[in-house]
Amino acid sequence: MNIRINHIAKMEGHAGFMASVLQGDVKSAKLEIQEGIRLIEGVLIGRYYTDMPVVAQRICGICPVVHNLTAVKAVENAFGVKITPETEKLRTLMEFGQIIHSHALHLFFLSLADFLDMDNDIQLVKEYPEETRKAIKIREFGMDIVRIIGGRVVHPLTNEVGGFKKVPKPEELKNLVEKSDEVLKIALELGEFFRKIKIPEFSRETEYVCLAKSGTYAVYDCDIVSSKSTILPVEKFETNFQEIQKQNQVIKTLEHNGQSYMVGAIARVNINRGKLNMEAHKYLESLNYKFPDYNPFHNILFQMVEVIHCIEESVKITKELLHSDLNQALSKKYEIKEGIGVAAVEAPRGTLYYHVEVDGKGYIKNVNIITPTAQFLANLEDDIKAYIPSIMNLDDKIKEKKLRAFIRAYDPCISCAVH
Amino acid sequence: MLEHFKDFFKKKPKIAIVSLTSCEGCQFALLDLGECFLDFVSQIEMVDFRLLEDEEDKGEKIDIGIVEGNPMTDENIETLKKLRERSKILAVLGNCAAMGGIPEIKNYQEGMNTIKHVYKYVQGIKNTEIKEVDNFVKVDFTFPGCPINAEEFLKYMPELLEGKIPVIPDQPVCVECKARGNRCLLLDKKPCFGPMILGGCDAVCPTSRMMCQGCRGLRPKGNVKAMRAALKNMMTDEELENVSEIYGLRDDISEWESKLYPN
Repeated sequence: MNIRINHIAKMEGHAGFMASVLQGDVKSAKLEIQEGIRLIEGVLIGRYYTDMPVVAQRICGICPVVHNLTAVKAVENAFGVKITPETEKLRTLMEFGQIIHSHALHLFFLSLADFLDMDNDIQLVKEYPEETRKAIKIREFGMDIVRIIGGRVVHPLTNEVGGFKKVPKPEELKNLVEKSDEVLKIALELGEFFRKIKIPEFSRETEYVCLAKSGTYAVYDCDIVSSKSTILPVEKFETNFQEIQKQNQVIKTLEHNGQSYMVGAIARVNINRGKLNMEAHKYLESLNYKFPDYNPFHNILFQMVEVIHCIEESVKITKELLHSDLNQALSKKYEIKEGIGVAAVEAPRGTLYYHVEVDGKGYIKNVNIITPTAQFLANLEDDIKAYIPSIMNLDDKIKEKKLRAFIRAYDPCISCAVH
Repeated sequence: MLEHFKDFFKKKPKIAIVSLTSCEGCQFALLDLGECFLDFVSQIEMVDFRLLEDEEDKGEKIDIGIVEGNPMTDENIETLKKLRERSKILAVLGNCAAMGGIPEIKNYQEGMNTIKHVYKYVQGIKNTEIKEVDNFVKVDFTFPGCPINAEEFLKYMPELLEGKIPVIPDQPVCVECKARGNRCLLLDKKPCFGPMILGGCDAVCPTSRMMCQGCRGLRPKGNVKAMRAALKNMMTDEELENVSEIYGLRDDISEWESKLYPN
């Protein structure tokens, strides 16, 4: 028999789902991609390097910040540009803002209704007005960070090769610190609400991959680490992880040593949980999960852990920035040089990689962009194959609902994956 | 502003917001309005907005159809045509739908060959020329920008809900830029398309010291000739053309100039 879902809403981009099951044996389980090819890498070739972040961040309307940061960093690495600590801090802070508002959107507006047996958020918002208000407050804090530093939430403007065109005013940063106590309190309350939700049981061992750095919950400038192998510098990603395009497929998927692997909040918490801030750590403990944790539904709770962590971390960085000369983050002069640059930043959904080759005049010769969803797609399909037997005997409608919930728990971004 | 909607209608107007191939950033710009957007949603009947609801859209008649993105796949084109048929008013959301957006860059460059930089196996992958929404269906109103200005969405929706087509005032980005107290980039000898581009964005880019690259399109009285003259010592014609490709402005500039210099 076949299980078919024509269109899965409440996720970024367009996809359906199709599985074929023969006498209880799942032969295949595939996301059917319904997104057109925008050829973002292709249109960048021949363009001037300053267009790179402007064009590439438009891959995604929910995570443009991380595309902007990774694109700029890749070009900087190609030119050998060194940035100031203030620039790095502002960028890292902006990425925390990105993770906070993207996670808050996913865990509340995109995923929660699945576990409360509701079909839409209009019902959710009506029945849980207090929690809705909290989720919006948290999102707004994340968006404020991005707006203050980037000039705008969707497709930020200020960050460029060498630093920032414009830096925030100290009053704006002070304002963030002032709001943060209440936002953290609200996040902990929303965390309590999520802790009580019944999450389905499912487990399948896999490999987790994310960035790592000693002493900190890595996001911006780091190495690659996996739960199964040693640490690699970011430049070694493409030689160790295989990007595969199968015929007729618009998403290039990834493998590590011939196997699927997982990225995102669940991977980061499994690997880097020892480096979480205090409140995030306490909240994680309260969940009573055993590690390594292989239940993909827990990704939602781990996003909640990260929201709490990122709020705490944002306050720390903002305070440090208030004690430094923000003008040091304004763009510095640099030399345009022929070169190859590779960069990686933790996006809300997992590690985002950019590879760029630039000629001596600053024109782009080659680009490769590897997104989190492209990386975890094979893992998602392997997980669903293992999940289907446990729901096989359920009514078709319920089966379909469970599959939608499963796919959404991964927080896939099809726009990113196809680009 | 939302008070406008409250008692206007005995029956809630029906609206669908649909996305074609895109980054969906315009829909996120709406969602990012937070409670303000949820207020708006509670005062209408949202027939389709897939970021918030999972129920299948039944395809009923609606008052306003709103569409974001590029019609690229066969499904995209079918969705768009159906939306037009069932909508009294069709409005497009953002630069991709209105002007072709980022994907249209390929039309100006290697065209269909662009795909070879991205895919090893190109057979069986639909690779189309990028065309704006109005090449497929009649468009009644455009919310311009990349992304749209969500405040502008709230500003013009009441008129659309009354069945009227709003007119965005013909003023350059410069008006709002000055009002925000920005130092003019052009005066600093830095390129900016502000004078020829339709305002309404609150000059969000120049406020961040980013040049206006024209995502909202030429304003009706925009003067490309004067703009070229002003930019003469700041960028070459080739550079100007390159920048105007980013948001699909280049073909509009060519059209303007072909009217000025026939043949």
